[in-house]
Amino acid sequence: MEVTEVKIAEPKIKMKRSIIDVDIHNYTPLDEIKRYLPRAYRDQIDLWGWRLPGSLYLNGGVKVGQMTDSTPPGGGFPGSDLQFMREQLLDRYQIDYGVLTGSDYSCQASPDLDYAAAVSSAINEYTLEHWLAKESRLKGSVFIPKQDPLQSAKEIHRVGSHPDMVQVIVSSGAEKPYGHRYYHPIYEACVEHNLPFTIHVLMEGVGINGPNTGAGYVSYYPEYRASRPMVMAAHLASFIYEGVFEKFPTLKVVLQEAGVFWIAPYLWKMDEDWKALRFQTPWVKKKPSEYFRSNVRVSSQPLEPTPNPETFNQMMNSVYANETLMFCSDYPHWDFDSPLRAFPKLEDSLWEKIFYQNAADLYSLPARGAGKEGAR
Amino acid sequence: MSGFLVGKASEIPEGDKKIVVADGRSIGVYNIGGQFYAIRNTCPHQGAALCTGITAAFITSSGTGSFEYERDGEIVRCPWHQWEFDIKTGCMVIDPKMRTKSYEVTVERYDVSIEDQDVYIHL
Ligand code: FES
Repeated sequence: MEVTEVKIAEPKIKMKRSIIDVDIHNYTPLDEIKRYLPRAYRDQIDLWGWRLPGSLYLNGGVKVGQMTDSTPPGGGFPGSDLQFMREQLLDRYQIDYGVLTGSDYSCQASPDLDYAAAVSSAINEYTLEHWLAKESRLKGSVFIPKQDPLQSAKEIHRVGSHPDMVQVIVSSGAEKPYGHRYYHPIYEACVEHNLPFTIHVLMEGVGINGPNTGAGYVSYYPEYRASRPMVMAAHLASFIYEGVFEKFPTLKVVLQEAGVFWIAPYLWKMDEDWKALRFQTPWVKKKPSEYFRSNVRVSSQPLEPTPNPETFNQMMNSVYANETLMFCSDYPHWDFDSPLRAFPKLEDSLWEKIFYQNAADLYSLPARGAGKEGAR
Repeated sequence: MSGFLVGKASEIPEGDKKIVVADGRSIGVYNIGGQFYAIRNTCPHQGAALCTGITAAFITSSGTGSFEYERDGEIVRCPWHQWEFDIKTGCMVIDPKMRTKSYEVTVERYDVSIEDQDVYIHL
């Protein structure tokens, strides 16, 4: 036993106001979602195990990538205990609303489409029952078997109108870039239920998903982290050039956890190419950066630290942070961003946009404080 | 002698630590090889409770695939982003300018032999 006595003085929390956190990883234990699966899969799991592809890389922290101090006092996995999550995150940082993004995306790399659909549904049922029904500050993400767009649309129709489900979520690892028309049934359903389509880094190079770089697989975890923007960048360009935002003008896409500032030179490049090569994709009516501003949102963690504040402000302007950026902590993952310390000091109106308003607008969440009395 | 009493030295065996609050500050007191060291339990990066992180070695390498362990038990890795700090100095290993405060620690010996030694930190 390492710690003889822990008596931690509460750090002085100086939140300006309450906030919204758009990426909180609630733990989804496989043995608990099992009861929501059809009997045939339960029997097969008993015989052969889960048949789900795993992650390729070592993670930081403890227990595969968690904050060392996020294990609940009563034991169990980080992110599994609602009461501890309230204490360590929601209450402590005055989080009015937190969007749950789950933890196990392995079914989105499985070649067994029906099984992937069944596991997705089970995750959604578990999230509704175990988290959303118990804490009104928490909102959920609809897991879909994205490798089967028709079954994905079915799942979105099944649970997407639940008032506590606020987005559809997929791994960044995919078989095809997400702008491909193959995925259109998913976007039709998203638009119908007014749900953003959120791409969270994970499962790149795993199972049926493509390798995590165009140059092949990488060896080490930091190298994999460095490759995440490449995959996300491919999805972003795909949405724009495949004309998804022309066909689905109200569709909102959220890019999660692949970094933020790389987007700036990427947009400059795409805008420049659009001037020269517009005639090759004439259905792309607007400059790529305009689609980005109107249809794409980005969550903050992990935010790249810049060498100096001037560069930080320039990069923030260059990604239109005022309109597009939303704070998230990524709790309880080891690279958690503290709402108090992740950003340098921001001008008040910008802080308000990033820490509340942009997310409230995207997810149609009430104004600050409105949820206080609604705790279930 | 002035200082904040941490407790009996025997309460912190070699390789162990104790986190205490002295003068409103949370401080981790470590026993490394029989010597006591105290550092501020606040990470200078994003403010995590630094001393709740794991106590580790400094791992170096002479080339790809080689891992060499040095200074076993002298490094604390922050519970959040795993930045490594030298417990003996409070300095971040790869960027010594970045540091958590370190404090002087003494052990007071009493005349009565059945009394244990007391550990004090001096802020
Ligand atoms: S808070 Fe300690 S390394 Fe980030």
